[in-house]
Amino acid sequence: MEIKKVSRYVWGFAAVLFVIGAVSFSFNSVRNTKGSFALLLESYVLSVISIYLLVFLVILVVRYAAMILYSFMDHLEGLYKETDASSNQERSDKILPMISLVVPAYNEGVVIQPAIRSLLLLDYPNYEIIVIDDGSTDDTYEKALGVAREAHSIPIRVITKRNGGKAEALNTGMSAARGEFILNMDGDSKLSSNTLRACIRHFDNPKIGAVAGNVKVINRENVWTNIQALEYVEGLAMARKAQSFMRVVNIIPGPLGMFRKTVLQQVGGYDHDTFAEDCDLTLKMLMRGWQIAYEPTAIAWVETPSRLLDLLKQRYRWTRGILQATSKHSASLWQPRTAGVNCFILWYMLFEGIMWPFSTLLGNLFFAYVGIQYGLSTLLFYWWLQLTVLDVIAAAYCVVIEEEAPSLILYAVLFRLFYINIIDVSKVFATIEEWRGNTMTWGKLDREGKL
Amino acid sequence: MDLISILATVILATTIGTLIVGVGAYAAFKLRDSRKPKAKKTEESSAAGHAKEPIFLKRYVPESVEKSTPE
Repeated sequence: MEIKKVSRYVWGFAAVLFVIGAVSFSFNSVRNTKGSFALLLESYVLSVISIYLLVFLVILVVRYAAMILYSFMDHLEGLYKETDASSNQERSDKILPMISLVVPAYNEGVVIQPAIRSLLLLDYPNYEIIVIDDGSTDDTYEKALGVAREAHSIPIRVITKRNGGKAEALNTGMSAARGEFILNMDGDSKLSSNTLRACIRHFDNPKIGAVAGNVKVINRENVWTNIQALEYVEGLAMARKAQSFMRVVNIIPGPLGMFRKTVLQQVGGYDHDTFAEDCDLTLKMLMRGWQIAYEPTAIAWVETPSRLLDLLKQRYRWTRGILQATSKHSASLWQPRTAGVNCFILWYMLFEGIMWPFSTLLGNLFFAYVGIQYGLSTLLFYWWLQLTVLDVIAAAYCVVIEEEAPSLILYAVLFRLFYINIIDVSKVFATIEEWRGNTMTWGKLDREGKL
Repeated sequence: MDLISILATVILATTIGTLIVGVGAYAAFKLRDSRKPKAKKTEESSAAGHAKEPIFLKRYVPESVEKSTPE
């Protein structure tokens, strides 16, 4: 740990040395040209930032284009498989393997009963439900037990334990599971009825170790939740669809992921040392050579934060958790030959986690500065416009593919206008705190019971 | 003042405004967070020497659930 800390400060020191070197170089240039140092330095810095932002923009355009192309290819592949499956008839219910649904719950008293009841309606002949009460301080356990006591054809088990975090709760569920396959979800998620059938067919391929589901927002009640609904469709679903074409989905979402039990055991289940246990587990599976698919028709409806501070709390945890998970597997960053596509995935995650928020923030500050200082606010407008156009194109594509409400496209403008600026500030601060090694808490979202 | 200039001014004002709101909201979030009791520390504190006690070796299953669960 100390070595890591020292290494961070060495990097910081190297960065400061680089800046001093650049300033010295500028100073020499000033002396040679006999001009104003401040003016030359300003011009020097602005030029460097301009070039950097141009490079960033090119990467961003390539990223959007590749995402749309690959997700469309995956969509076509899905359509082909659908036709193929219907021509081969549905497989007999008797040969379908058992699936254990693990529902970790911590203070989910408001939503746990409707969540369990919705699971009883899933279209699948052979499954069990295991609710893990992670030492809740509310009535989650009693409420879950209440549903379990009712007469059902589906076995329901409720296990209570001392509070130890979501990772530990999921590991407990894994130990208790009787099924060959395990579906991990959140206590507040509601699954579409076809989820189990849709996910299980991917396991016909023996290389597939897990299947990621499609997460959608259920509480679309104000501007924050509506923008998040678009973000889930555009930012998360499209990315997973594109990654699925390569079978390298980098995050199996907490609200819906199905795993081979043997694979979960092989990688040692969930670890406790990150705040994004789903991302960490996914990376562990990828590093072991397992492929991960995405099933867009298996939908988990989730409640998202409807207030700004709750949203920041969630994104703060996501940012630091993903950085922690990436850091755990950072050895593969420098081993492209042995790590293969996993090396690319890790770099991609660093791009999305660090470079993207830092660059958009830098871009906004840069264009705001030149707008105020030189009256060139049109530059900021064009910068904003090109990013918004990219967002609107991606949003329109995703709305069509995901069969979402067209009104979501309009939120792409609001997304770029204020939402992402606020989120990026939070991400940048979270990254700095992670770099400094500040302690953090889990950040449980208070549910409102919208399911 | 043409349309582009007006839009540019709006975007400039919005950008600066949202950056300020972003910093303010982050500060408010941290302030609210610091007032709550700490539930979990990062690896630094857990790796500091205190071995984590295994807590689910002996799994507790209530009798009533066991009876109602079809095997």
